[in-house]
Amino acid sequence: MKNALIATVLVLAGSLFVQVLSASPEDDVRLYQDYFKKRFPSIDFQEFANGVYAISAQQRENWEAIEEFPPYEPFIERGESMWNTKFSNGRSYADCFPNGPGSQHLYPQWSKEQGKVITLALAINQCREANGEQPLKYMKGPINDILAYMAFESRGQLTNVVIPADDPRALEAYEKGKEFYFTRRGQLNFSCDQCHFPNSGMNLRSDVLSPAVGQTTGWPVYRSGWGTLGTLHRRYSGCLKQVRAKPFAAQGEEYRNLEYFHTYMSNGIVLNGPAARK
Amino acid sequence: MGVLLKYILISMVTTAMLLSAGLFAGVSAYDDTEFVNLLNTAKSAQKKASSVGGEWRDVGKFIKEAEQAAADGDFDRAKKLAQKAKTQSELGYEQAVSQKGKARNPSYLR
Ligand code: HEC
Repeated sequence: MKNALIATVLVLAGSLFVQVLSASPEDDVRLYQDYFKKRFPSIDFQEFANGVYAISAQQRENWEAIEEFPPYEPFIERGESMWNTKFSNGRSYADCFPNGPGSQHLYPQWSKEQGKVITLALAINQCREANGEQPLKYMKGPINDILAYMAFESRGQLTNVVIPADDPRALEAYEKGKEFYFTRRGQLNFSCDQCHFPNSGMNLRSDVLSPAVGQTTGWPVYRSGWGTLGTLHRRYSGCLKQVRAKPFAAQGEEYRNLEYFHTYMSNGIVLNGPAARK
Repeated sequence: MGVLLKYILISMVTTAMLLSAGLFAGVSAYDDTEFVNLLNTAKSAQKKASSVGGEWRDVGKFIKEAEQAAADGDFDRAKKLAQKAKTQSELGYEQAVSQKGKARNPSYLR
């Protein structure tokens, strides 16, 4: 009897242990979102789409003033004309994006054919190359125009990253992104979560740290510090440089997997790009 | 002297010249072997760190600056910079490897 009890306890403890080790993405997203709901109980969940401005009243005031004359508007206009201009072979972006420019909610997505995570920026360049056009640079420049237009046309859709069950490599990519996120890097030995989970809302020099959930909804972002629009992967590199780690290649496997994990945690939050940040 | 012999002599001299040039290039442009060894160790440590995604931000810069200092003849500075690149690369490698497969939801979340 006593032995049976011990055995039962051991089995229960064991299964609990395994659960902790192999949290499913659904468990993760609940865990992360609940964490921020508890940490900022007075904030409407959809407000997390506004990053630091959801949680800092003072910074929000500056931001609302900026949003009266959005600095990203000319980029949207240029992106719209890119969308409407035919490639030299007579085809156009519309041939690659059957849902039209408002397709951001479909990305990042797992491609079974290519066996990798396809981000919107990568899909744009694959479209260009398939049609004989030069690919665009991934951090600065015109990629931001077309991304801004597509983001604008996608406003109001919800983040909805899917990890298809019919291809175990998709879950693997998610797990790799998760590992990247929680790994300490650089001379300062920081992981992403250290700044954007338990220190969210705290000051780091002149910045207030934004919560991790909601960080992916507004890209591309006009940052006053950049004086222009930049991509999410440019931001990833900026954060890595802050902790004195060598950044990775924009749209390389590391960042695409990271984006897959990082965007998944905002599932259910509204897309609101392009956005402006201080 | 026969034409053949002349030809052989010329090709021998040319070969010797090419070999010695190659030899010097192999030893490197810097005539401080201690620095050269240190620089090579630093570079392979950098590669090793990078292969596990653990390279730190300024290692590449240190190596470039070390090479510049050596080119300017300031081998003290060159060695210090190469040493820094080597140490940081080793730390970055350790940092990455010690966490491989271990990074998961931290305890404050559970
Ligand atoms: C040393 C602290 C620190 C670390 C570590 C850090 N960041 Fe940041 N991050 C910041 C600061 C400061 C900002 C700018 C203020 C803000 O929005 O949080 C920022 C902003 C961001 C933003 C933009 C949010 C927005 O609304 O525009 C994203 C996305 C982001 N970080 C992701 C990451 C990821 C992914 C990692 C890990 C690779 C990471 N950060 C690591 C400090 C950090």
